[in-house]
Amino acid sequence: MKIAIPHALLYYYYFPLWDTLFRELGFEVVDTGITNKDILDKGSKAAVSDICAPIKIFTGHVIEGLEKADYVFVPRFARIKKPEYFCPKFMGLPDIIEGTVEGSSGRIISPIIHEKNNEDISSPKIYGILTEIFGFSHRELRLALKKAEEVFLRFKSLLHSGLTCDKALESYRTQRWEEDLKRVKKDGEVTIAVLGYVYDVYDSFISMDVIKKLEAMNVNIKTFEMVPTDIAYENLRHYRKRLFWTFSNRVLGAGLFYLKDPEVDGLIHVTAFGCGPDAIVGRFLQYESDIAGKPFTTLRVDEHTGEGHMITRLEAFVDMLKRKKWARVSHGI
Amino acid sequence: MKVSFPYMGSTIVYKKLFEFLEHEVIMPPKPTQRTMDLGVKYSPEFACIPLKMVMGTYLEAIEKGAKVLVTSGGHGPCRAGFYGDTHRNILKSLGYDDVELIIFDAPQDNWKAFWRNVQKIRNGVPWPKVINRMYTLYRFVQKLDELEKMVQKIRPYEINKGQTTQVWNEIQEKFDKIKTRKELYKVYEECKKMLLSIPTKEVDEKDKIRVGIVGEIYVVMESSINFGIEEILGNLGVEVERSLYLFEWINDNLVPWALRPKRFKEIIKKGQRYIKILIGGHAVETVGHIIDFKERGFDGIIHLMPFACLPELVTQSLIPKISKEVDIPILSLPIDEQTGKANMLTRIEAFVDLLRNRKKGRTKEVFVNEFQQHADEERVVVV
Ligand code: SF4
Ligand code: SF4
Repeated sequence: MKIAIPHALLYYYYFPLWDTLFRELGFEVVDTGITNKDILDKGSKAAVSDICAPIKIFTGHVIEGLEKADYVFVPRFARIKKPEYFCPKFMGLPDIIEGTVEGSSGRIISPIIHEKNNEDISSPKIYGILTEIFGFSHRELRLALKKAEEVFLRFKSLLHSGLTCDKALESYRTQRWEEDLKRVKKDGEVTIAVLGYVYDVYDSFISMDVIKKLEAMNVNIKTFEMVPTDIAYENLRHYRKRLFWTFSNRVLGAGLFYLKDPEVDGLIHVTAFGCGPDAIVGRFLQYESDIAGKPFTTLRVDEHTGEGHMITRLEAFVDMLKRKKWARVSHGI
Repeated sequence: MKVSFPYMGSTIVYKKLFEFLEHEVIMPPKPTQRTMDLGVKYSPEFACIPLKMVMGTYLEAIEKGAKVLVTSGGHGPCRAGFYGDTHRNILKSLGYDDVELIIFDAPQDNWKAFWRNVQKIRNGVPWPKVINRMYTLYRFVQKLDELEKMVQKIRPYEINKGQTTQVWNEIQEKFDKIKTRKELYKVYEECKKMLLSIPTKEVDEKDKIRVGIVGEIYVVMESSINFGIEEILGNLGVEVERSLYLFEWINDNLVPWALRPKRFKEIIKKGQRYIKILIGGHAVETVGHIIDFKERGFDGIIHLMPFACLPELVTQSLIPKISKEVDIPILSLPIDEQTGKANMLTRIEAFVDLLRNRKKGRTKEVFVNEFQQHADEERVVVV
């Protein structure tokens, strides 16, 4: 039996967990691969025109998955941390897919993830529908999940040690694991916190590979995944109330953490075209950066953004940071 | 305290509320292009339209002298719950340090803060008086909504164009002056007579067209942002009903769960046929109301949503499917600061034509939603 895991949205964060789970259960896992023009076109055609780019891309990956596998995995993320939720589009994701992708009905596997406080989403309760649909025993499921959780925790510790998501995913795939920590870039001239959801930062159609481009400009990279959740939340303590969306809070909290980190010279917020929650996250990051006196810029790629233009912008930002740092150092501050 | 509030739907109700609490009310002006421009200028670019409109309204109310702005914080996983803080942030950055923004969050989130707010706006009015007046206000809303529903059933058949709207304006003025419950009931009866005396033409039941309006609360309730869609439809000879009236909203949201009318729960249940869990905003209700309107014999649905509204985009994704399976034409209209009235009118007229043809049996077609057509024509890739 083949199950496809769409290479979009929270794939970038949870793939090691889901991949392990399904393999342990005897599935053949199909990864729909990195986003390409064809997938993007398929998704844009099926999805409603005003919806955000990540959902269009996800839709494309689902269509791709339906062509290549028997089932496609489309989890419904409602909550992993009380009292927050996910963006409404995550909560209605399987509904969106059923409404827009013909032939998806009955072929998407959609567990509901509604947990009080469980970022590791490996509790058997969530995946109970697998036993119902495919007839696994609860014992089989539990054992598979145990393995999946171990793998995920190991993956997460790589993130916390400073690997970006894409590199950590590679370490998982190649099973090189901790060996790859050697590859963390630490010798750059300046350090930039690149903040944004994993499916924005690591999808080259949304971010145009901003991280690779920055690294080529001799920049050290920090991302929100490197900041453990409790530390991110610690930094949100002074807010009257938190955002409604867990990952938005983590991005914002990590942003505030990096604003205090003397090593970090500037912030870039990567956001997708048509993202609602980021309207608020962006506003707060901007506001807080102004107060902290650290340079901040927003990166939002749309169909008119040429690659050349983007590189020029990034270069200008990086140069500015380098000059600032140089001035600071030479004044001995 | 010089109090003002966001402009949404029946503002005389909010005005009454603060009058009853013996505040000086600064009536926010009805939103205009200028309101929109102000809101757009000072709000984050990608915020949804209600946030921008309300921002503009605040700024205009402050110009008129408002010192205290009162709003509900909103609950549930959507941006509305964060409007207050965003607005406060913006006001602060504009230097309005003397303006206070009071945000009412759901009491269960933070009892203490809620109570503090209540005490602030209670303004020292003794409790028995407050309770009595709030009850009057409750009835006030109920009666006003009843009259509005009548307006929506009379307007399409009026003989003298524009008369119903004129009477409705008079009614609102009369309501504005009401002070006691006794007056309320008297004025209500008068107004009812006024409406019933509007000359109308006889229309055969089978020629009547009924349209239900569903969608996100702000664009459904506030006519200045939806171009007065109810009036437009009425003038085209169409009976309208909204999915939302203030009285029902109060019952659904402010009255304890156990006492709520069954209607609300039924709507949710219907909506869950397509959206399995509550996802924030009004998406599940929207779907529930579409099904409900169909069951009650309506001929078509207009779905209003702020452009890029998160939960309503989920609804919108499901519309072609629902439309086909439930067998009812649905027109989905996203609204933002660039939406033009002319364009909107053309689409509504075309939609009403389709409904008439369908009713006469000339076409079986279920409306192919225009947003879908657009997407197909342009094949745009927006990334
Ligand atoms: S958080 Fe933003 S980008 Fe992600 S699904 Fe929601 S609207 Fe789209
Ligand atoms: S429901 Fe729609 S309009 Fe309301 S806050 Fe959410 S996105 Fe904005």
